[in-house]
Amino acid sequence: MFGATLSRWTMSYFAAALAFLLIGETMMVLGYGYPAAAIEAPETLALVHTIALGWLSLLMAGALLQFVPVLVGRPLCCTHLALPALVLLVAGIGGLVLGFVGLSGSIDLPPIVLPVAAALTIAGFALIGAAFAVTLWRARPLPLTARFVVVGLGALVVTVLLGGNYAFVRGGLAEADAAIALTLEGVSLHAVLGLGGWLTFTTMGVSYRLLTMFMLSPDAERRSSRVVWLSGSGALGLVAGVVPLILAGSPGRLALLVPAACLGVLAVVFYASDIFRIYRERRRREIELNTRASIGAFGALAAATVLFVGLLVTDRMEQGIGSLVYLVAFGWLTGMGLAQLYKIIPFMTWLECYGPALGRTPTPRVQDLVVERRAFGWFRAFYASVLIATLSLSVGAQPLFRLASLCQLVAILVLVLEFTRARRLSNVPASLRLPTGAQRPHLFLPSFQLWRQP
Amino acid sequence: MTIEPHELDVRPILRGGGDPFQVIMNAVDNLAPGQALRLIASFRPVPLFSVMAGRGFSHQEEALGNGDWAVLFTPEGQVDDVRMSAGDMDLNGWTDPVRQLDLTELDPPEPMVRILAAVEKMEAGEVLFALLSREPLFLYPELAKRGHRWAGNFDVTGEVYRILIRVGKPGHHVGA
Repeated sequence: MFGATLSRWTMSYFAAALAFLLIGETMMVLGYGYPAAAIEAPETLALVHTIALGWLSLLMAGALLQFVPVLVGRPLCCTHLALPALVLLVAGIGGLVLGFVGLSGSIDLPPIVLPVAAALTIAGFALIGAAFAVTLWRARPLPLTARFVVVGLGALVVTVLLGGNYAFVRGGLAEADAAIALTLEGVSLHAVLGLGGWLTFTTMGVSYRLLTMFMLSPDAERRSSRVVWLSGSGALGLVAGVVPLILAGSPGRLALLVPAACLGVLAVVFYASDIFRIYRERRRREIELNTRASIGAFGALAAATVLFVGLLVTDRMEQGIGSLVYLVAFGWLTGMGLAQLYKIIPFMTWLECYGPALGRTPTPRVQDLVVERRAFGWFRAFYASVLIATLSLSVGAQPLFRLASLCQLVAILVLVLEFTRARRLSNVPASLRLPTGAQRPHLFLPSFQLWRQP
Repeated sequence: MTIEPHELDVRPILRGGGDPFQVIMNAVDNLAPGQALRLIASFRPVPLFSVMAGRGFSHQEEALGNGDWAVLFTPEGQVDDVRMSAGDMDLNGWTDPVRQLDLTELDPPEPMVRILAAVEKMEAGEVLFALLSREPLFLYPELAKRGHRWAGNFDVTGEVYRILIRVGKPGHHVGA
């Protein structure tokens, strides 16, 4: 069996992810968490996990449900795991965020909430990770883009185990010295493997395939892309290698982290040159809004890398870490996510709705489901708000940060409305909207027809 | 030791208002095993690409200026990784394609739409041959749902995907 079918639950993952994004943005507008609170404060942990787990990880999981089959050319195995995984993840992530709010003392919660929520989250990731792992394993030998996903999933495993350890220690269920040492020293590893491994490295792999597909660029595997994979994997491997050192209480962390930083920067430099080439060698002259809006995300990744090197060289990492993490999470990952959703949602909607009618009756084009010129300005507003918010974090201007977050919240709300209009077929001329054989899709739940798919 | 490509310049025939197709096919028939054909024409001979792909040649184009084009047709050696629809597949029993489509320049998902529209107009048992610039992953399930059989693979350059589709019997409905 070859090919890729429509993923049944991807749209539900996207809906849950966007809900968490709007909650996270609202927290920042209200001044909850960093920069009003300290970077290690429970309020900040609540905010960071709303964004990194609730928004970015659910978005990535939903996207992979649809794109792992595209990367390997075979349908996803164990598709029945997608729904229980989603339920576990939403419950687990919601519980984690509440658990962190409880740690801050603003609501009274039993300490058991945090470890239980962590267990639910880990179970959710285990289910969905198993579906990806089995699919990838059966599709060997894997193309390079899929090998990025393999490393990203490996980073996810280490990230959630470190996070679970933290939750169990804070919940009073783990008291071993090694577990406490990991809690104290493993936070930065947890963040690097999560944002840099699971989210960034996986995004890189998927972006190679998506961009060449959307712009009709040559997509043969290149040596430079292999360098990106090797150096990125090496960097993440070295970071993960610090965990046993902490457990053993051995010194020598810098000997691993310095080469890891160098390899990480090297991976981004080669990746940037690859992306530049994909845009330059495209056969499609006019690029669509999703590929135009991705340029801002690539710019943010480049800027974040320059900032990272600058902070390292000037030894100001502690002062600049907030701006750096913000730029990666919002400029690069959120920008890329929103830009690609602007294409993925209409495409999946088009295939679900008009697939049965294709060739039998006139059907709209995918582009007919969106109005690019209307959304273009809101993508610009989004990136402008990211820039202003990053600068205000680096100079400590809290009111300006909240104002920029408000602009960002408005831009995202409008884009979510655009996604909804695409799902609802609102932009399609009425005469073409529902020809014979077409099926109106639900907003974010699978239609009856998708339920019946094998 | 590789054999030099056989060069064929059809510009004089085109200038004289003639149709060079038969001359080209004769030249192809007379190529040595493994020998390439370098064709020079006063336009980009797009219709020829799918004909030659059907005969096992991949192509590389080169603009010579003044509207002239040189195309190097290279016979493919080992082509592997054929992907096929599920079920009993005996390609030897398939007839020659009655329709050929070159969809390499179209943005996704337009090739899928064109192919599905073309097979709707064909009779059961007829075969369609199409060239695409990407493997049509979302097309396969749609073909299967409609009862069509298919086989496809990339050419030797890895840049063109060829697919043969044998139209199934009508009466296949969505969800069936």
